[in-house]
Amino acid sequence: MNINLFSFLIVCLFFVIVIESVRRGILETKDALIWLFLSVILGILSLSRGLLELIADWLGIVYAPSLLFLFGLLSTIIMIFDLTRRISKLNQKVIHLTQEFALLKEQQRNSSSEFEEKRKENI
Amino acid sequence: MNIKTIPKTIIIVPAYNEEASIATTLTSLIELSNQIDRLEICVVNDGSTDRTKEIIDTFDIVSLHLPQNLGIGGAVQTGYKYAYNHGFEIAVQFDADGQHNVHDLLELIEPIIKEEEDMVIGSRFLKKTDYKGSKTRRIGIYYFYIVLKLLTKKRFTDPTSGYRAINRKVITLFAHHYPKDYPEPEVLMHLNRKNMRIKEVTANMHARLGGESSITPMKSIYYFGKVTLSILMQSIVKE
Repeated sequence: MNINLFSFLIVCLFFVIVIESVRRGILETKDALIWLFLSVILGILSLSRGLLELIADWLGIVYAPSLLFLFGLLSTIIMIFDLTRRISKLNQKVIHLTQEFALLKEQQRNSSSEFEEKRKENI
Repeated sequence: MNIKTIPKTIIIVPAYNEEASIATTLTSLIELSNQIDRLEICVVNDGSTDRTKEIIDTFDIVSLHLPQNLGIGGAVQTGYKYAYNHGFEIAVQFDADGQHNVHDLLELIEPIIKEEEDMVIGSRFLKKTDYKGSKTRRIGIYYFYIVLKLLTKKRFTDPTSGYRAINRKVITLFAHHYPKDYPEPEVLMHLNRKNMRIKEVTANMHARLGGESSITPMKSIYYFGKVTLSILMQSIVKE
């Protein structure tokens, strides 16, 4: 089995895993989009050596497979950056929730102690 | 100065693992609030893992217990949100570790009551005080003094001081936006951009009673990098 077929099979397996994760509700559809897009492109590139060489030639890359590395590396960096942005956003949400929780709890404690006092007055 | 009635004021005390000093700090604050009308105390327990929560609960004050640690910025902002929601006119940030002096508090809020300033900072370096910090700490503070002077053309002799009083306008700002970790110098830059009036008054600070500084030597490199970057970012940030 040559490397082209081997990598194509891996990409196919990956594609199925992504679809399956969405189906089971582990991965959100909007997060799956970029992975599906990536695996389709990788699938095409790994099968058609001609296309890879054409693009490599066009970009002035002597050794065509290194284009795959470039593509893989770039998309990894972009995705990690996207993840960091999402973490920052989630972090803000967690902070906001934590603060609201503490404020509400104080409010609740306050109103229940007021309630207790009123009850005692009535007795 | 002797004032008995002041606008509705709240003292916000952020506390993270301060079991050694929190009781002393709260006792001295409560003594002060007994003498002055409309002065309330609000302690924010930033997810402490020691006995801080139990000690706070023995006092009859507003207590906000964060279920997890957010860091000083997130904790103080919770207090500002409380102040905003309950219509306080003045908010004072006061450290739980016993560094800040209760007797300076009225000096801090006086310019705000007179509506001369939007924020007043208690400075250790405006005039010579008894403050003895380590050399590295002083160098750090001087560094931020220089950076802020270059960017704002104003003098903030103690940009890292956590002893600050603000008016309703700034409370509203802080309730909606407050920097996350190590916020003190960044806040100055932010308020300067908003054309807020900031003044420093002399405040005496003691050595901490207990607990540990939030800035350990290991963290100080990160601290310098992060705060410098956020100060620079503040000057270009989109509102």
